Amino acid sequence: MRFKAYTPFTSAGIQSAIAYKWNFLGFFFGQIFFTFVMFFLWRAVFRYTPGGLIGGFTFLDMTLYIFAANITGFLTDTDASYVVGEEIVQGTIAMRLIKPVSFNLSILFTELGQKLIIISMVALPVFAGLEWYGFTQSGFVQFSLPTFLLYMISAGLSYLVMFFFDVCFGYLAFVFKNLWGINILKFGILNFLSGGMIPLAFFPPMIQRVMGFLPFASMRYTPVMIYTEKYHGLMILSAMGTQILWVLLLYGLSRLIWKLTEQHLTVQGG
Amino acid sequence: MKQKIGRIFRLYWIFTQQFIKRLLEYRADFITGALAFFLGQFFNLVFIFVIFSNVPQLEGWTLDQIIFIYGFSLIPRGIDHFYADNLWKVAYFLIRRGEFDKYLTRPIDPLYHVLLEGFEVDALGELLTGIVLVVAAANRLVLTFSPLKILGFIVAVIFGTLIYTGIKIIFASVALWTKQSGSLLHLVYMTSDFAKYPVTIYNLLVKTIITYVIPFAFTAYYPAAWLLTGEKPLFSLGGTTAAGIILMVLGRLLWNRGISAYESAGS
Repeated sequence: MRFKAYTPFTSAGIQSAIAYKWNFLGFFFGQIFFTFVMFFLWRAVFRYTPGGLIGGFTFLDMTLYIFAANITGFLTDTDASYVVGEEIVQGTIAMRLIKPVSFNLSILFTELGQKLIIISMVALPVFAGLEWYGFTQSGFVQFSLPTFLLYMISAGLSYLVMFFFDVCFGYLAFVFKNLWGINILKFGILNFLSGGMIPLAFFPPMIQRVMGFLPFASMRYTPVMIYTEKYHGLMILSAMGTQILWVLLLYGLSRLIWKLTEQHLTVQGG
Repeated sequence: MKQKIGRIFRLYWIFTQQFIKRLLEYRADFITGALAFFLGQFFNLVFIFVIFSNVPQLEGWTLDQIIFIYGFSLIPRGIDHFYADNLWKVAYFLIRRGEFDKYLTRPIDPLYHVLLEGFEVDALGELLTGIVLVVAAANRLVLTFSPLKILGFIVAVIFGTLIYTGIKIIFASVALWTKQSGSLLHLVYMTSDFAKYPVTIYNLLVKTIITYVIPFAFTAYYPAAWLLTGEKPLFSLGGTTAAGIILMVLGRLLWNRGISAYESAGS
């Protein structure tokens, strides 16, 4: 694969993210309000919990968890299904067939450009704020560079899982024509099952076992657990291994669907 | 005046007929949309249950009471979402794409036209969940509904809805100057998330904002708390009514100024 062919997509992504920064900032602030609601709810709960420990989480752990889960969700969010769905419905997907670059990868590299802007404008300030909050609450600096780097790698893998999952999802537009409704449905389900609201460790054991066979934990939960230092050593290794497995699996699936598309695509002329 | 109102109702009926035709064409889409909003509420409920599996009560409120407040919050929100959803389109893209001009060329007040033009069936997911939760929680709490309480309930729902619509009109009006204000409206609208739970759990800053600045707390917590306890009727219901009226008047005034300042986006 020639990476050089894809760098223009990345710079286009950066430019569009800067041009439309208020769109994603508005969305980000809207999302973080709900995180604050959860923060206050947990604060009230912990105030009435003798011992201050719920499911192995202290209040500080929980605070770090929900904010890290929020920002990770923001970092790993993708519009791939929207882009794919729109091209299918509009018929512009036909033009993609004659271009010498991969459709999936060109979307990926455009989004990577946007992510760079989001990381610098939103994610880093939030993490700085979280570290500062942790320091004021516990009295010592908890930041560790290796942990943070592992988090970033794992969050990157999460994004890839999300991306290839979403690309496959986008091809549903061949069936449904309009993806708006199911996209909101998907967002709600993914947010919940990937640990965006409640740590997956709080789910009943049977559901947790089923979740072990599904890609959702790899989409967000793994990096958040690494960041909050709930995962150690071998656990990190096996969780990130699972992430890589899901990336490969979903990448393969998206390739397969694209190959089938190429052979069967019929677009109505205009 | 009477003639004017009669005309609006007639137009309303004509728009509704057109809308139902569209609804029948894109049936699956509307169903998934409503289902999505229903599921969103469902996950929030699971979250509340998880929280309450650890404590018997939260700042003086029991699980059933919290569910009642949460359910109540969805009713004005759902009604507004149902009939005033087009304001989002004004804020996000109608003006920017130059499509807003059509409202100005029609022999009908542009604001009415925007509101009449479409319904959002997705809102039924919220609205029905809200009603079911309120009824179920009221049953479990053995709430007695005197005629006064029923009247208060209706007043609170009506003016709570106007709080939502008023805020949406105000921030959609901004787009008449700036061409788009979707992100701003989204930002303001999302503060309503705070109103679904007792304001007693928040710190002073959040409490002040959702009571006096963006008074979403009057769409849910205050009137619902009055229905549950009967305390502070004047503040709760009076506040809801006052906030609803003030925001609608402000919205209308700002909209009118915006319409006179409006310059088309062109092409």
